[in-house]
Amino acid sequence: MKAKIAIIDYGMGNIKSIASAIENVGAIPILSKSTEAILSSDGVILPGVGAFKHGMNRLKAAGLIEIINEYCKTNKPLLGICLGMQMLFSESEEFGSTKGLGLISGPVCKLETNDGSKEKLPHISWNEINFYNRESTDAILSGINDGDDMYFVHSFAAVPDNNDEILAVADYGGKFFCAAVKKNNIYGCQFHPEKSGEIGLIILKNFVNISVSYK
Amino acid sequence: MLKKRVIARIDVKNEYVIKGIHLEGLRKIGDPNQMAIEYYQQGIDEIIFMDAVAAYYDRNNLSHIIKKACVNVFVPITVGGGIRTIEDIQEALNSGADKVAINTQAVRNKQFIDNAAKIFGSQCIVASIVAKNISVGKWEAYTDNGREPTGLDVMAWAKEVEQLGAGEIMVTSIDRDGTKKGFDIELNTQVADSVSIPVIASGGAGCKLDVVNLMKNLSLDAVALGSVLHYKHEKIFYIKKALTHNHVRVRF
Amino acid sequence: MNDQLEAYYGLPNSVKFCKKCVISNQRPNSTVEFKNEIKEKKKVISFTDEDICSACNYHDEKETGINWVEREEKLKELLSRFKSKDGSYDVIVPGSGGKDSAFTSHILKYKYGMNPLTVTWAPHLYTDIGWKNFQNWMHVGGHDNILYTPNGKLHRLMTKFAFHNLLHPFQPFIVGQRIIGPAIAKKFGVKLVMYGENQAEYGNAIEENENPIMNMDFFSVDDSLKMLFGGKTMQSYIDDHGFSKIDFAPYIAPLKEDLINAGVEVHYLGYYLKWDPQECYYYAVENTGFEANTVRTEGSFSKYSSIDDKIDPFHYFTTLIKFGIGRATYDASQEVRNDKITREEAIYLVRKYDAEFPNKYFKEFLHYIDTSEKEFWATIDKFRSPHIWNKKDDAWELRHTISGEGCDD
Repeated sequence: MKAKIAIIDYGMGNIKSIASAIENVGAIPILSKSTEAILSSDGVILPGVGAFKHGMNRLKAAGLIEIINEYCKTNKPLLGICLGMQMLFSESEEFGSTKGLGLISGPVCKLETNDGSKEKLPHISWNEINFYNRESTDAILSGINDGDDMYFVHSFAAVPDNNDEILAVADYGGKFFCAAVKKNNIYGCQFHPEKSGEIGLIILKNFVNISVSYK
Repeated sequence: MLKKRVIARIDVKNEYVIKGIHLEGLRKIGDPNQMAIEYYQQGIDEIIFMDAVAAYYDRNNLSHIIKKACVNVFVPITVGGGIRTIEDIQEALNSGADKVAINTQAVRNKQFIDNAAKIFGSQCIVASIVAKNISVGKWEAYTDNGREPTGLDVMAWAKEVEQLGAGEIMVTSIDRDGTKKGFDIELNTQVADSVSIPVIASGGAGCKLDVVNLMKNLSLDAVALGSVLHYKHEKIFYIKKALTHNHVRVRF
Repeated sequence: MNDQLEAYYGLPNSVKFCKKCVISNQRPNSTVEFKNEIKEKKKVISFTDEDICSACNYHDEKETGINWVEREEKLKELLSRFKSKDGSYDVIVPGSGGKDSAFTSHILKYKYGMNPLTVTWAPHLYTDIGWKNFQNWMHVGGHDNILYTPNGKLHRLMTKFAFHNLLHPFQPFIVGQRIIGPAIAKKFGVKLVMYGENQAEYGNAIEENENPIMNMDFFSVDDSLKMLFGGKTMQSYIDDHGFSKIDFAPYIAPLKEDLINAGVEVHYLGYYLKWDPQECYYYAVENTGFEANTVRTEGSFSKYSSIDDKIDPFHYFTTLIKFGIGRATYDASQEVRNDKITREEAIYLVRKYDAEFPNKYFKEFLHYIDTSEKEFWATIDKFRSPHIWNKKDDAWELRHTISGEGCDD
């Protein structure tokens, strides 16, 4: 039986692309913001494109913060993508300080570069991800090689307080930032797996497999 | 390590891919979805769909194409041509586009980019600048798919759209579009050097050497290809290989 | 209501639009221009009972009813009859270096191995882009050319009269343009003249489509003094304006018998090869250095169609006045037939551009025809046929438009 993956529809994020990708890897995408749909699915994706403050306000207005928290207690997997990953964290400094979901500890800060680097913002490009905690390279990155390119588009990045929670990093202007995280059942990708070609689809397939293993 | 992007630019009219020269002419050359899937499978980094006649008819007509495209194409999709209102942008994003390219409306109403960036985020907004060379080192911006001059100096306009909140700029050379005679390197590098947001160069590639000669100028972030791919003069893999040999890092 | 309104020029009283393209039944056919006088009843494009115009019918015929392989064989046979064996010119290609003549001359030379001499009847006032394309035609396309510029003093005067008497400023130009091909052919001892497209593409008499050879009446005349320029005979220019017959040399067509005796034949390439003006554009860009204009032409959406003469937009403005259809209608109709745009799109374009006044070269045009702005509008208004125009307060409005927004629609 196919896994049901809920994609939280709170009005921000390219949910259609994610839905297509989830279908492509053999699961059933459910675009919703209802408690019922989210809690009854096998895995949940929190998408996001845009500003942190805007995103958090929308989640709050839709009553989704409580739903997400409740979902996380079930130990079923949650995947935050791009802004979705950033909102998993404690707070962001974008447009003044805004509180996040606080599911993973650490701030979200503007991308910095080494002095003298000429990198542009937003960071819009394909970029290599490098595994961080090699021993704990998780099932979500299974089949991915160190140095594979993923598609990034962002100006801010999360800075986990606990380095053990970092799965992968990427280089921006000579400085590494966090590209993927994991804390228990909560995963985050700063890049867009649904836009990273076949390799990105592998990551989504892995997430689906993780969801299935909880069924 | 950041990679430079190789993008396929697909100009569309109704159901067909069309390709003009100097942004003029509607010769039909294929099916947009088929082409997008082909390029995706061949390793393209992004797809840009431009509604080639949107300016004529004051509409953007590509939703049906985007919806189909994102079912099978898992790289970023940008859509442009005739984007006039916030609703147009919402519709494009809802259909599956990741970014929208805006030209005419931005010139008519400068606040449009500012508003759009605030609502959707700068990373969704590509300012499309269509440039015609008017004298040595000077280019004028055109709207309506290269039909109407604006009197705006391209470099000044590029800086302004950055201020207004565009996340990227795509520069199209009217003089080189469809000619396969190579890029207007002077135009593209000047724009890239004038702003601190990513710049995509478009218009003129006839062979992989053209792409290499352009991208060796590392201030450019991406290159958009049309005729050279659609008429099958070069394959994406070999273009990327040539870039790599010339120390331009791309994704494989 | 229309039956009570007078229709000038013997035009059909009831205005109708083709159901397939956007041309109206008021579109006049090409005429023998040096016989053109104001009282003449215009022959117009024909419509079937189902309101399909003859140009659309011809186009359908082109798509399915003609064996183009056979036609190309005919072309090769024709050319083999005329191909020179001693390196001399063997075909005259009249044209301006625009997309149509560029295609014609280049393909004849480089695909079919002929040795064309291109001949240009000079535009009234060259545009910059027109001159550039003309030069490129030779220097990039690789052609020999004779540019024939008629005496401006006479040409301007005739154009002025043509404007005021016929509201057809291009009439004298067309007389010369049609003659130049055969005239130069005769002078150089070349027997074949090849034009590009047949006017049948646009709705001229169906019979003409079956015939590769241009009607001799278009360019030969028996008594030149009776030729009409701007509605006045050559004799009257001599008597009233101090010109002499010798000034008219460029406009005097060769005698029919002389042409026949010299073995001169005038053909249309469009009879032998399936014609697509847009494909001519691509070909010309790729082979003869042709460039579209940077801006669209006033009164239309096109950037590459007929862009070499500053007076040209006024030709189309006068068709708008006399027949209710402007440049966008002509351009859009052609593009619908050739499957580049849909009829809905054509309607949109006509609505947007057809009535646009060509401001850019207005002052130059007035100066060229030695006319004040007041005189210009006085003449214009005289030619508005009541069955096409209605005057409301101080403004003129069309009674019928393709988008159904005319005041009588």
